[in-house]
Order: sequence, then structure tokens, then C-alpha cells
Amino acid sequence: MNTVPDRTPLDAPGRGGPRAAQLDLLSEEEALPSAGLHGLRQVLGVWRGRAGILAAGVLVSVLALLAAFALLGATGVRLAGTATGVLLASALMLRLLGAGRVMLRYAERLVTHDATFRALADLRVWFFRRLSGSAAGGLGLRRSGDMLARLVGDVEALDGLYLRILLPAVGALLCLPVLFFSLRPGGLWLTIVVLLLFASGAFLVPIAASRLSGGDASLLARRAAWLRVGVLDMVSGLREIRAFRAEDRVLEAVLGRESALYQAQLGLTRRIAVAAGLSFLFGQLAVLAILAAIAGMVFARLDPIAAAFALFVLLAAFEAAAGLTRAGALAGHVAHAADRVAAVGAPSKPAASAPRAMPANDTLRFRAVAFRWSPDRPLVFDGLNLEIQPGMRVALLGPSGSGKSTLASLLLALAEPEAGEVSLGGVPVGRIDEPVLRARIAWLSQATHLFDDSIRANLLLGRPDADDAALWRALDDAAIGDMVRELPDGLDSWLGEGGARVSGGQGRRIALARTLLSRAPILILDEPCAGLDAQTEQEFLRTLNEVGEGRTVILIAHRLTGVEQLDRIWRLSGGQAAAAAA
Amino acid sequence: MTIDRAAIRGWSARQNRLGRRRALPVLVCGTLSGVAAVGQAWCMAGILAHALAAGRSGMLDPRVLTPPLLLFAFLAVTRAVLQGAGEVAAASAGVAGRRRLRAEVLQAVLRTGPRLLRQRHTGEVAALAVDRIEALDGFFSRWIPAATLAMVVPALVLFAVAVAQPRAALILLLCGVSVPVAQALFGIGAAVASRRQFLALSRLQVRFLDRIRGIATIVLFGQADAEAERLRIAADELRRRTMQVLRVAFLSSAALDLAMATALVAIALMDGRSLLAGGATSSWVGGLLVPRSLFALLLVPEFFAPLRAFALAYQDRMQVSGAAEQVLPLLGEAGEQAAEAPAAPAAPAVRTVVAYSVSVAFEGVSFSWDPARGRTLDDVSFRIPAQETLVLAGPSGSGKSTLIEMLLGFVRPDSGRITLNGADLDSIVPAALAQMTSWIGQKPVLFAGTLRDNVLFARPDATEAELRSALRAAAVESFLDVLPAGIDTVIGEGGFGLSGGQAQRVAVARAFLKNAPLLLLDEPTAHLDPGTEREILDSMRRLAVGRTVLLATHSVAAHSFSGRRVDLNQGRLLGRGGSAREMTA
Repeated sequence: MNTVPDRTPLDAPGRGGPRAAQLDLLSEEEALPSAGLHGLRQVLGVWRGRAGILAAGVLVSVLALLAAFALLGATGVRLAGTATGVLLASALMLRLLGAGRVMLRYAERLVTHDATFRALADLRVWFFRRLSGSAAGGLGLRRSGDMLARLVGDVEALDGLYLRILLPAVGALLCLPVLFFSLRPGGLWLTIVVLLLFASGAFLVPIAASRLSGGDASLLARRAAWLRVGVLDMVSGLREIRAFRAEDRVLEAVLGRESALYQAQLGLTRRIAVAAGLSFLFGQLAVLAILAAIAGMVFARLDPIAAAFALFVLLAAFEAAAGLTRAGALAGHVAHAADRVAAVGAPSKPAASAPRAMPANDTLRFRAVAFRWSPDRPLVFDGLNLEIQPGMRVALLGPSGSGKSTLASLLLALAEPEAGEVSLGGVPVGRIDEPVLRARIAWLSQATHLFDDSIRANLLLGRPDADDAALWRALDDAAIGDMVRELPDGLDSWLGEGGARVSGGQGRRIALARTLLSRAPILILDEPCAGLDAQTEQEFLRTLNEVGEGRTVILIAHRLTGVEQLDRIWRLSGGQAAAAAA
Repeated sequence: MTIDRAAIRGWSARQNRLGRRRALPVLVCGTLSGVAAVGQAWCMAGILAHALAAGRSGMLDPRVLTPPLLLFAFLAVTRAVLQGAGEVAAASAGVAGRRRLRAEVLQAVLRTGPRLLRQRHTGEVAALAVDRIEALDGFFSRWIPAATLAMVVPALVLFAVAVAQPRAALILLLCGVSVPVAQALFGIGAAVASRRQFLALSRLQVRFLDRIRGIATIVLFGQADAEAERLRIAADELRRRTMQVLRVAFLSSAALDLAMATALVAIALMDGRSLLAGGATSSWVGGLLVPRSLFALLLVPEFFAPLRAFALAYQDRMQVSGAAEQVLPLLGEAGEQAAEAPAAPAAPAVRTVVAYSVSVAFEGVSFSWDPARGRTLDDVSFRIPAQETLVLAGPSGSGKSTLIEMLLGFVRPDSGRITLNGADLDSIVPAALAQMTSWIGQKPVLFAGTLRDNVLFARPDATEAELRSALRAAAVESFLDVLPAGIDTVIGEGGFGLSGGQAQRVAVARAFLKNAPLLLLDEPTAHLDPGTEREILDSMRRLAVGRTVLLATHSVAAHSFSGRRVDLNQGRLLGRGGSAREMTA
């Protein structure tokens, strides 16, 4: 390997090409017409219940701003007035304004933060319900956890909406009438010019910045994701990299992606800096206009005391509006995030048209089922027939891509067949009330999630009212009880992210214990051993033989190891199931 | 690995030092901008005072007023440019800091090598190298400049005010000093509490993310409503506790507001009073006092602005110790690795063993990952003659992978020696060793990129014809038609998902392309169904022709691989293989 590599897998082939589009859901964002207000409107709708406290936050913040105007204006007038021998603002008034300003600002911080926390909690709960209530609840089966993580990032991006965008914007709006009244003595011309300059600096430039940054934000996110993928590849591929001595070229490629990210970041910073500079200059021009009016140039001459008031108020107004350029840049990002959040959880479940029914028994039946994930993809099943009697232990085998997991999705009513019928106890699964169906069928797969919580909390998900004795029984049935007993905190031991604190085999057993704990008469085990080493796999399957007497056990796998004890075996191929030796 | 506080402080101090050097342009821009602000205040005060003085007589002299107006405009443009330049410079400082740190971390990862995968989760390392370091942007671009500017600019303003109006300067000084005092008073207790609170907040974020990731599990257990309710309660509880902390923490911000309001009111009242006491409004004393007092008043916001920026940037400072806790152990591991390397027996003569056929010998090799858990390999000896195959059998955990990782140079034996064609492994330069060996593991890593790039990873300079023949030999061609864009289909993260069998074919194609004389196969069919396993083994048998092969497996099918077979159990060789001594005897 002595040549300089000109391409490595880590190099971005044609940025923005099909590659970038495939990379993540940002491509979906590009399909959106533009950062419309649809998403934002929906988010604000979620906050309707909080209107009271949100409005209170706005009110206090407006009062605090008014106090700031009054304080600065009054100090200016006081000094200017005394110079001409007129006492325009009393000492008491100044002291009251000063104290009022400090207290209102404190109250503003408390109220707006409290409102923000409430709004955030609402937003998260809303998002969770929406995602779980829609067909997207089955999302975790097909889409990667990583994409969900990015959506969570979008929800977090909405955090700044109230505190960092809405409040400053309302504050800037309030500046308009205040400026109007303080400038009135200067005549119409001066008022119009200063207000226009203020509006340009406070609204026009930030809106332009929000337009500009919308595209930048997605570019940034794409390049950051690109870097993350590069680093992740590098770390997980350390063996390959060492074996092929590719350290230098891989490092070079990752650093190249890093530079691309920085380039985008610096580009955005430069544009925002220009916008902020423009906004600042508009403010300075307005000050200059007042100074000119004082000097009697360009504008009609302005009374110096009125001018002092106007000048100090204007300085306060521009300080209040200074953060708006950045808020504008943020707004573009937030609007896109809101659109993505609003689009993802859109409920897609058809209205309960068919009458609901209770299954008579636990017999599962597939009758001439045809299914495909989307019209442009080939049929996964074509005339699939299966019948599984209560209490049977069966296996469904097939190579990857033969539709094994699709079968689980159909049974769990996460997908609907194109033709034919999937039924439980004689009732199509789509017509069974969801809680009833969920109580009948328990599911365990490689994708079954272990939560970053205690072992107890993880188990209780299977049966919330289970007592400790039941938990231990389930753990013992899953042959993991002894391991848990040895842990210093027992049932209260923390599992870590995705069960990171226990080994893969132990984690799968805890998940099995949770599944066994549920009272469901039907267990679907979808590739429960994927990722386990052969020895652990065999031990796990032996455990399975001994548990769940009386329950239906459906084992979905690509092969058998020989230790399973089964009543029937089907092989899936060509979209149909063929019986194999029992 | 334990990291002591001193190491974290030392590391943070080092970052601070390096960052400050980079932040110099930001400091220059900030300071000059402060000077310009002082000049502007002087212009405004002068114009206003002149107009006030002329108020009665009504006579304004444009010749007096025009220069300050022009100067004001000039300074405004200067300030706009300086502020913009300062912002860009700050961003560059942030980039420079992150670039340096990330390169350090990535190099440490590469230096530590595959060993790292036994100690850490990939996601954790990636989060450190990407997100943790991105989060340090504020430290380099905001905190470091703000920490210096919070001293320099107020001092500058204070000096200007002191020259013009000493009493106002005294007020500013007193109010300014009260800010850090108040912040220390309210801040210390609040800082401890808010750090704990910050932890709770981030734990809630993690919990939310965790629940969303596992949402399918929750839905399928019929627990969605209950979980949403739990989420709401946890968030509400957190809000209540956070607000308790914030009530105190906001007092330190309130202290800053109070100091500023006090300064404003005190200056306005004090000077106003002395003006009134002077009686004559347009007297010489009064005339001079007005612009100076206005000047002082106009500078009050400028005096406090850097202090406010400092308080805002304080949270960025917190990021550093968090990053240090994660970065230091990683750098430490890489350091150990680097320290080990020179300790290895000095190579008598570094060589490259140019050979098309390689023989391998292990002589009394022992190794343990962790002395407490006993030896992973215990006095292992065997020999593979050139172009022959050795099948290494044994249950998982018996040390097969460790043995192969040794041959790859990932780990070094604790005792004993390994030779290739009689040359000690330690004496062979790593690049030459890598050139001699091909390796196929249980689950090949496919990089995000096209299928072509992934195969070319083995040898980036291969010709199209060589690539095609490798694809044919590894039977990758058999599934090219199914891929949306053939060989240019993007695979890996975010791309088209290949099945385990297809991925393994890509690994075989890499090995064909590399065409190395020594082939190491580590459980290459462990995750495949029997049909696919047979097909992959067929390709591998073709690959094995004319090469020296070490195949580690517990699969029965793989034992159809022709060749000698030895069993490894708990780090010891059993059975038919015999030891190298016996073989050579």
C-alpha cells in the first residue's frame, strides 16, 4: 500500500448527490415546500393549554422592558433638565424606577423560565403520545433508533421558540409605540425615519437572516451527520483499518469531513455577522438622525430635553432588539424542526370503521395473505396460509428478506395485509381493540428495547402490577435470576443505555423475563438470538424450551440450532409457508 | 481508570492557555470596539450638552456640531466592522480549538486500535469525538474572550470616565466591584445546586430519548399512556425543583441589574444635585459638568455589557471539565499503548519479509487481557507450513480471536514468540505485516459509501479489471443486479442494507483484491444460515488456494475445509495438532 489513495469509502462522493439524499431524513425536509408556518402553528396549538402562563411571561417581560425605557429616559432627562434648571424627574421617581426595573426583570426571568419548562414538558408528552398513537408506534420496528434520536433533537430545537424568539420579538414590537411617543416632539419626519430604521434593524434584517439560515441549518445538520457517520465508521471499523493499515487515509477522510462542517459553520457565522452589523448600523443611523435633529441639521430642530429622552430610549430599544438577528437565524432552524416534528407523528390510522370485536380464543390464522410494504416494491407474501393452535410451539424459518419480521408486524396489526386475512380467535387483528390485542400477544426481538432504568422498572413494563415475587419468578424462568441476585443493588440495579451495563446475552434474558412476566397467552420471539455467540444462543434456546408452558410460542429465525423443541416448523420462501419436519 | 481532579484542572488550564492564544484577535476587536464606544459617547454627550447650553439663547453653531457628528458616524461604521470581525474571529478560535482537540482524540483512537473496542462502546467514542467536542465551541469562542474582555473593557471605560468625571467613576467602580461579590455570594450555593440540576435536566433529556427509541417496545406492551403520564410527572417534578434552584441563581443576575440601575440613578442624581447647587445653569462649571456627566451616564451600559457577556458565557466554561473526564482516559489509554511500543524488544533488524508464501509458528505464546481473570492463551505452540491450512476449533471464549489478533499485531504476547518465515513478528514493520495478511472477521464493517469504495478499501490503487475479478471470485456479482445502482450503490449507515451473507462476500472480495499470502479467518460464518454459509465457504476455499490459512471456527460446516485441525480450549491447545516442537522434531 504505497500509493496515495485518491478515493476511500469515507470520502464524500459528490456532495448533495444521491448520497446526501439517502443519508438521513433531512432529505425529507428538502421535499417540503419551504419552512411554512404549518409546523409552528401545530406546536403553538400544543401550548394552548399554557396560554395563561405564557401570556403572563410576555406581560412581565413587556413591563420589565417599559421600566428599562423609563429608567434610562428619566436619568437622561434628569441630567439634561438640571442643566437647564428644570427638575423633570424626581429623585424618588428615579429610585422607584430603578428598583422596579430590577424586580420586574427578576420576575420576568422566573415566570418565563417556569413557562418554558411547562411548555417543554407538554411538547415532549404530546410528541410521545402522537408517535405512540399513530402507526409510527411500529416505527421502531423498521426505522433505526438513530433517526428517532434525530427527531428528538428536533423536539429539543423547539425549546428556544418561546424564550429566545417569541419574547424578544414581542419586546421589539413594543418598542415601536414607545419610540413613536418619545419621538413625537421631533416632528413627523424624524419619527418616520427613526421608526423605519428601527424596524429595518429589528425586523427586516432578522427575517432575512431566518430566510438565509434555513438552508444553512440543514446543510450544517447534514455535514454534522456526515462527520458523525465517518467517526462511527472509523471506530467500529478499527479492526479493518488496522488490518489494512488504512489509518492515515481514514483519518484524512474524517478530518476532511470535519473541515467541511467548519466551512459551513464559518459561512453561517459570517453571514450572521454581516446581518448583525447591518442591524447595528441601522440603529446607529437612527441615533445619528436624532443627533442631527438636536443640531438642527436635516430635520427640524429638536428640543434638547426631549432629545435626551428620545436618545436614551432609543439606546435601550436597540439593546432590547440586539439579539433579534440571532433569533432570526434560529427561527429558520426552529421552523424546519417544527415541520419535521409535525410531519412525523401524523396519525395515519384509519378511523375505526369496522365494528370492534373480541377474539373468541387464541388461534392465529393467516388466510391467503398478500402483503407488500409499498406499491412499488415486490410482494413479501403472496397467498400465505398458516394456522397456529393455542399452546403450540412453532418455528418460522427463512433466509433474511423472506418476510419473517413482516409476519410479526402483520400479527401485531402494525401493518395491514393487501389481501387475505390475519385473524386471532376468528377476528381480523385490525378489528380487535388495541389494548386487547396487546394483552394477548407479547413480542420479543432483537429490537426489543432495554430502557436506561432499573431492572425492576424494565420488568414492570411487562406487567405493571407485578410484585417482587413475580419479578424473581420471571427472572428465574429466564435463567437470569442468580445473576441479578449477585448484583449489589439487586432488582434496583441500573441497566444503562440499551442495557449497556450487562452483556448481550444477559440483556436478552432480562428482556425475555419481561416478556414472560406479561400475561399474554401468545409469545412472538423474532430472532431473539441475533448477535449472541453460539454458546449463549444455545443456552438461551434451552431456557425457552422450559418456559411458557400452556402458551403459544412462535419462534422466528433464519436457522435452528437443534436444541429447540417444537411442534411444527414452517419454512418461508417465495411469499408462502411450507411445512417442514416437526 | 480513575481520573483525579488535578489532572482535569491541569487539562482545563492547558485548554485555556492554548485557547487564549487563538482568541487574541477577538480581544483586539473587542477592546478597540470598546474604545470606539467611548468615543461615540463623548460625541453624543458633547452635542447634547451644546444644545442644552444653547437652549436659552437658541444659537447653535454648526461648525462646532459637525465634527462630532461626523466622528460619531465614522466610529459607528468602525464599531460595526470591529464587531463583525470579532464575531468571525471568535468563531475561528472555536474552530481552531475544536480542530486541535478532535485531531488529538481521533489519533488517540487510531493509536489505541482494535483494543479500544473491547473497552468501550462505539457510540460512546463517537459521541465523545463528535458531540462532546462540538459542545466545547462556546468555551473557545465565547468563554475565553469574555473572561478577558470582562476585565479589559470595564477598566477602559472606567479610565475614560475617571478622566472626565472622577466621582461618577467612583460610583461605577463600586457598583462594578459589587457584581462579582454578589455573584460569589449567591453564585456558589447556586452553582452547586444548578450543576446538580443540570445533571437532572440532562437525565430527563436522556430519558426522553431512551423512551422514544424504545417506543415500539412500550406500544407493544400496551404501556404508551402510562409511560406518557410518567414522563409528564417526571418533567413536572424536575420543573419544580429547577425553579427552586433558579430562584436563588437568578439573584446573581438580579445583582447585576441592580448594580447597573444603581449606577445610573446615582450618577444622574449626584451630578444633577451638584448642578442645581451650582445654581447658574449656563455657568462655566455647569456647562462643563453637563457633557461630562452625560458622558458618564451614556457609558454605564457599555461598562456592564462585558460583565453580562461574562455571566452568560459562564455555562460554556462548565463544558470543559465534563469533556476532560471523558477525553483524559482515552488519551491515557493511547498513551499506554504508545509507551508499550518502545518497551517491546528492540528489533534486531527491521525487515519486510518479501515472500509469496508464508509459514507461521507460535512458540510458547501466553497472554492475558486481565491478569485477574487468568490467561486467555496459555503456552500455545503450533506451526503452519507455507500454503497450508490450519483449522482452529474451540468454543467461543477459548482465545481464538485473541490468537488471530496477535498475528495481526493488534496485541502482543506476554511471553513466547511468533514468527513468520522464521522472522520474529516484532521485527517486521507494521506496514509490511499488514501487506502480508488478509483478515475476515465475524461481521465485516461496511463503511458508509458505495460498494465500490468498500471493496477498494483493501487496495485503493487497484485497477477496474482487478476489482471486477475480485467481485467475480467472491460472488459479489451474484447480487449486484438486485442493488439499485449496482456497484455504485451506497451501503452502510444510511444506505442500502446488505444482508449478513452479502456483507461477508464484500469482505471476501476485499481479501481477493488484497491478494495477501497469509489469510486469517475469524469465525467468518458465525452469523449465517446454513445455505449462505455453504456458499461463502466455497468462495473462501477458492480464496485459500496457494495461501497460508488460519481458520478459527466452531461451525461444523467450516470443518469441511481441508487442512489440519487443532482444538483450543480455555487458552490451551488440545488434540491432534501437537506443538511446534513436536512438529519440527
